[in-house]
Amino acid sequence: MKYITTIDGKEFSVEIIDDRHVSIDGKIVEVDFESVRAQPVFSLIVDGKSYEAYVYEGEEDLEVLVKGRLYHSKVEDERERRLRAASGVDVADSGIFHLKAPMPGLIVSISVEEGQEVKKGDVLLILESMKMQNELKSPRDGVIGRIQVTDGDSVEQRQKLLSVE
Amino acid sequence: MFNKVLIANRGEIAVRILRACRELGIQTVAVYSEVDRQAMHVRYATEAYLLGPAPSNESYLKGEKIIEIALKSGAGAIHPGYGFLAERADFAQAVEDAGLEFIGPKPYAIGSMGDKAIARETMMKAGVPVVPGTGGTDNLSDEELLELAPGVGFPLLIKATAGGGGKGMREVKNIEEMPTLLQSARREANASFGNDNIYLEKMILGARHVEIQILADKFGNVIHLNERECSLQRRHQKLLEEAPSAFVDDDLRQRMGDVAVKAAEAVDYESAGTIECLVDADKNFYFLEMNTRLQVEHPVTELVMGVDIVKEQIRIARGRKLSFAQEDIKINGAAIECRINAEDPHNSFMPSTGLISHAVIPTGPGIRVDTGVYAGSEITPYYDSMISKLIVWGETRAQAILRMRRALEEYKVVGVRTNIPFHQAMMDSHPFMGGQFHTRFVEEEFSMEHIAEGKETFPEVAAIIATLVQHEETERAAHVVRRNARDTSNWKWLSRWERLSK
Repeated sequence: MKYITTIDGKEFSVEIIDDRHVSIDGKIVEVDFESVRAQPVFSLIVDGKSYEAYVYEGEEDLEVLVKGRLYHSKVEDERERRLRAASGVDVADSGIFHLKAPMPGLIVSISVEEGQEVKKGDVLLILESMKMQNELKSPRDGVIGRIQVTDGDSVEQRQKLLSVE
Repeated sequence: MFNKVLIANRGEIAVRILRACRELGIQTVAVYSEVDRQAMHVRYATEAYLLGPAPSNESYLKGEKIIEIALKSGAGAIHPGYGFLAERADFAQAVEDAGLEFIGPKPYAIGSMGDKAIARETMMKAGVPVVPGTGGTDNLSDEELLELAPGVGFPLLIKATAGGGGKGMREVKNIEEMPTLLQSARREANASFGNDNIYLEKMILGARHVEIQILADKFGNVIHLNERECSLQRRHQKLLEEAPSAFVDDDLRQRMGDVAVKAAEAVDYESAGTIECLVDADKNFYFLEMNTRLQVEHPVTELVMGVDIVKEQIRIARGRKLSFAQEDIKINGAAIECRINAEDPHNSFMPSTGLISHAVIPTGPGIRVDTGVYAGSEITPYYDSMISKLIVWGETRAQAILRMRRALEEYKVVGVRTNIPFHQAMMDSHPFMGGQFHTRFVEEEFSMEHIAEGKETFPEVAAIIATLVQHEETERAAHVVRRNARDTSNWKWLSRWERLSK
């Protein structure tokens, strides 16, 4: 089975040949892969070198922790890859950005108005949580669409706050 | 003398105090809010009572209810920990009035140190050097402060007299921007402390934050346990502490220790307390404030001085003399504490809430972890974001850094983001290793990304692991579908096959 695996933006072509062999970018390596029972822990021995990894679902990807460093990964098989290519551009860059609460908290103040133009990095609103005031910023340039909260509102995690169009 | 202690706190510090009580054979009473029903401190205590809903002002700040519970349960003393009610003179007074022992200083000492302006006056009278500034006991107006500002010198800090934790604090670079900053400082001070009195203090550039731990008993014996280095801060919140400080030499240590003892004596201090100072590049030091309670970072002192500060507090409250004299206090090795917070260092330290689904705590030689969370516990938005303290001891500072590096790599928390990567980067930072830093270092000079450059990475290994995990998952899913497709059990298939072959 062939996969295209992206690690922090860099693509690798990985083929699983059999239980013991994997090829990565055309190079065949011998692997011994075990998963530790009841834990998100995996042990990989590759060419005699031992690696312990924690693997868990992130918000949008699979997160792999190896030797104290976190890698964001995305694994697609060839069919998924073709489907995605056929569907055209990634929506993330062109569509509407919905600002969602990263954690439950209290809206302290909203720094923008509907219809206002914003630049990437502009503060959109301030959310108080865990006794700290946190500035939520715009990830890109755009115009503020609908604002769905007001000052003093309590919000749940992932609740939609406003949109940037 | 009491034999049962109520702990008016939660989280790691409640567990820390419970442990000291257990070792002393003292019974314990925990109090908790609705969201903390399953918390470690509740399960660990001999008795536990509900305070109320999650928000602090409906639970851990309800002093009257806590005293009521203490009386009902027969506890003879209350330990406030840090935060919540720890520095409320009125609470300490109410505890005393109820005939209970408050494990901490007398209400008078809390009160006179709690108001920063009064504390400055008291220290100046006792001959303790303070940061040059206006002093704020006389409630100066904005106009008066603007007039006094050039005399103090820019840059300066506006501070709230009732302040703490950086609230109501503003940096002022010049007189032009001062009027607006005065107003916002007053507003924030009023919102946080219900008191908008402010004062000015000269900003000492390139300074370090060094504090002296002191212990005092009811018989007037006061000793100091040397210094802690707490310069690594972000938004006035400490992130990492060490003992001893790489910057403090024997002479400075002696001078600061003497002054700290003098400061404590000036307010008839008893129990554990901390004198916080700023030290400039020329090794001049200035009194900042006194914390009249147990500090978050007390463990680094415990490890290098060999003193159990919490047990000493309890002994003092029970009317015993200090177990140590000043000459018994010797520095042994070095200790570092990293505060592990539920916040994402890759995303401007945004707090992270959620369920800790899995946690591996580092162990082995020279390691101590003080925590109140566990796999299965939930990080809620109601309380602060610190989930544990990782403390290591080493023969030398260099050994301690190497050990901390090892421990941080072993520490795994799944489910919420933590600042462990920040601490890992700090352990690799050359200025940190060389002991060359000041209170603005984290905000102005330190960059995690910069340190990550040039470090060995394993993207190929990560790619192989991610692919294998995904592959196994796909296979398993496919297998489940296939098994369902054949609706009859394998035993039935076997018997059919046997019948056919008869």
